[in-house]
Amino acid sequence: MLKTVNLHKHFGKLKVLNGITTEIQQGEVVAVIGASGSGKSTFLRCLNLLEEPTSGEVIFKGQNLTTRDDKNFNINKVREHIGMVFQHFNLFPNMTVLENITLAPIQVKGLSKEEAEKKAVELLKKVGLLEKKDVYPNTLSGGQKQRVAIARALAMEPDVMLFDEPTSALDPEMVKEVLLVIKDLAKSGMTTVIVTHEMGFAKEVATRVMFIDNGIILEEGSADDIFNHPKEARTKEFLDKVMY
Amino acid sequence: MNTLLAIQIDFTTMLPYMNYFIEGAWMTLKLSMITVLLGCVIGFVATLGKRSKYKIFNLLATLYTQIIRGTPILLQLMLIRYGLPAIGVPIPAIPYLDPDGKLTGCVLALGINSGAYVCEIFRAGLDSIDKGQTEAARSLGLDAKQTMRFVILPQAIKTILPTLGNEFIMMIKESSLVSTLGIFDVMYTQKIIQSLTYRQFEPLIVIAVIYLIMTTTLTGLLGILERKLNNA
Repeated sequence: MLKTVNLHKHFGKLKVLNGITTEIQQGEVVAVIGASGSGKSTFLRCLNLLEEPTSGEVIFKGQNLTTRDDKNFNINKVREHIGMVFQHFNLFPNMTVLENITLAPIQVKGLSKEEAEKKAVELLKKVGLLEKKDVYPNTLSGGQKQRVAIARALAMEPDVMLFDEPTSALDPEMVKEVLLVIKDLAKSGMTTVIVTHEMGFAKEVATRVMFIDNGIILEEGSADDIFNHPKEARTKEFLDKVMY
Repeated sequence: MNTLLAIQIDFTTMLPYMNYFIEGAWMTLKLSMITVLLGCVIGFVATLGKRSKYKIFNLLATLYTQIIRGTPILLQLMLIRYGLPAIGVPIPAIPYLDPDGKLTGCVLALGINSGAYVCEIFRAGLDSIDKGQTEAARSLGLDAKQTMRFVILPQAIKTILPTLGNEFIMMIKESSLVSTLGIFDVMYTQKIIQSLTYRQFEPLIVIAVIYLIMTTTLTGLLGILERKLNNA
């Protein structure tokens, strides 16, 4: 469904991604792990072209996003189908929770306000925040904000969801409520790529674990492969440091 | 010793001339308002230039703000009022409103000056919005225009409006320079009253008080606006 071929990304002299080739299949739940600065977030952000790759290709459902052969290519049309959730939530503070969720369906998909709100209410029920629909984001806790952000991304009915360290900015007691929502989503068959430091979560939910080091996929495999039988010395070293 | 005692401050001598002060103050207000409006239009265009993806527009806009902010406003006024007509570029006279074209040149010069500062105000306001806001909007499939309209502008306006108000206050004070070019604003009344009464001190104090009334009133209004915006 989502494929990268020899993906490179440089920021000036800094080479963050050094050739990532992988393919994410429909229904997969891929956990991307690695030390900070290893390039895992950049990799994720290249998948919907929030970062423009320096070279290499990103192919989504057979459409090449990087070579742009098609004159009618419109990145906004592609992004509609790729949901993204950020570390710092990035809710729109000038809109209520409901407006946050309905903005894109109304403006991008052309849904009527009633349709969009009906869908939003459904999603808010799903993430357990229906009673918060008319408040502004600044009155919510971090965990609640992130659940709204997930609902906002889901409102576009994406084919794949990208999570960029969704629990790293949360207070410890709020991590679980967010992870449970993501887990439900993953179990329901949503294709998911999640950059995370929650190893327990990766172990439990991921169908594939990808260890990124120095801008390449150093090792990948099932959670059992990576966590219990890592082959590379760097992987062992990293896991030693984060698991206790 | 007697000469010292002979100095008398007498504000009642100003009373018969209050309508001059009022007429001048009205001109100052009009001038500053039109200037800031014109400055907003020019500043908006310059902001578009600075944010354009075409290098040539970036360059032009940067050149404009750099030149305007790097030279004295009095020089800019004189250049447009006297310099341009001298090389054969006439400043159009507007019938009825500005029959001799004196005012148009001044408004133009002040507006061009204000535009450079307004451009910086807009830029700072837009830059104050976290990059994550744009990223979230774009990741949902909104295009650049929709992102600007629904996400960035409504937030930026909160920082832009109060600063724009300050620019208006600045303009009320800076517009006093036009008195040196023969525009009958509140500063210019000093010349009139002095020649009528031979008094130096009192008209200056009256003028100072008039400026203070205008600027403090505006500061107060801005405070109210700011509180409203913060609560919204």
